[in-house]
Amino acid sequence: MNDLGQASANAFELLLSGNNDIWEIISLSFGVSFSAILIATPVALIIAFFLAFFQFPLRRTLISLFNTFMSVPAVIIGLTLYLLLSRSGPLGDLRLLFTSKAMVIGQIMLSFPLLVAMAHATFQAADRRAWETAITLGATPWRAFPTLMYEVRFGLIAAIVAGFGRVIAEIGCSMMVGGNILHSTRNIPTAIALETSKGEFAQGIALGMVLLVLSLSLNAGVSVFQGKGELRT
Amino acid sequence: MSHLITYKNITISLSGKSILNIDQLDVAAHQCTLLTGRNGSGKTTLLKIISGLLKPNTANIHYQGLDMSWKQAKPYIQKDIIYLHQQPYLFDASVSDNIAYGLHRLGESKAVARQKVMHALQWADLSHLAHRSAKELSGGEKQRVALTRARILSPQLLLLDEPTASMDTDAKQQTGLLLQRLKSEGVSIIISSHETHTVKHIADHHLHIKDGQLETIEPSTDSDKVSVLKPSKKQSVT
Repeated sequence: MNDLGQASANAFELLLSGNNDIWEIISLSFGVSFSAILIATPVALIIAFFLAFFQFPLRRTLISLFNTFMSVPAVIIGLTLYLLLSRSGPLGDLRLLFTSKAMVIGQIMLSFPLLVAMAHATFQAADRRAWETAITLGATPWRAFPTLMYEVRFGLIAAIVAGFGRVIAEIGCSMMVGGNILHSTRNIPTAIALETSKGEFAQGIALGMVLLVLSLSLNAGVSVFQGKGELRT
Repeated sequence: MSHLITYKNITISLSGKSILNIDQLDVAAHQCTLLTGRNGSGKTTLLKIISGLLKPNTANIHYQGLDMSWKQAKPYIQKDIIYLHQQPYLFDASVSDNIAYGLHRLGESKAVARQKVMHALQWADLSHLAHRSAKELSGGEKQRVALTRARILSPQLLLLDEPTASMDTDAKQQTGLLLQRLKSEGVSIIISSHETHTVKHIADHHLHIKDGQLETIEPSTDSDKVSVLKPSKKQSVT
């Protein structure tokens, strides 16, 4: 118990002293995850909208696929991407394996189905009159789309936050395609795993605290947004 | 009497069941038509087809001297025809922003849009609600805001789906007054309604949907009754 208390105290000290290694890991983690969400979100929202508002062949199959992929373990995505990006793989010439770009690609693959599935549920539940009203008032579909997104913004923000929460804390994919290389591809989850295995609990706890604070903040943020949404319906 | 727009051979089926099968519908310019029919008879479906919101199985349209398919006519009719839902949808914004929505889409400058919105609010006697959140309004107020939002775009034809449903007497009167003013400004109107007594005095014509077809109803000498002329294939609202 004393060891745990001491390790926690050391963890606070590491964070507050501005330890370069720690803050570099935190910065890389956030950079990779923000990039992945930023790239995945626009495409995911458009696909989700089409799935919710239009009828076309294979629509139901696509919805089922996205729902299924939502729960695929990160390590499976990592393994698939590793095989694609490894030197003998079909995308080996791109030399992306063990780079932060590979981690971004992995996190896009991880978050994309979740974003589509949650945004689809949001659009599906949206009031169709919002879309029809925008169109009948002269908006083109490309102008009516932002209007509709604004009307269901609370659900969409919840989807984006959930997607971010999934990728910031995943370890399997980042470990496999990033390789956990210091100053290059080491992010919070892979660093926690490594430091803990070495018995360096202080750094692991410090990084764990960052994830914990982030998780609590995201949940609080989503609750506030959803609360606002409920008040307005 | 001139026709604003003519729809020919409107057919639509939903889940294999034929909903509408109308040979011809002429909409007269600057006049008001009352559209009645039982629940599920296809009134809303017809209004949505007329406004370009719902794609029919078949429909040909004669508009502005051109014969077009529904798909070809869609951009024109969506520009000139506005459909209002039974319970109008107001965006999550202030009343002013809601009324300005279509103007922004037309590319009006902010200053011009503000001016037009101000006049529109005065027209509908809604100036006191300008900065209120549209989501907080009563049903009657929402309907009046929606009418004002439509009017500001100077539509050729306004389609109203049960505009006075679930309203109290005051709200019905105020909505009726706005509808009369719109008609006197030359806007063609089609009103679908169960409560015929509240809008009958505005209507120049009365159409009834039965078994997916339109029939013209001629007012009888007794103002509370109407008599069916004939279930004709060609319906002219002139």
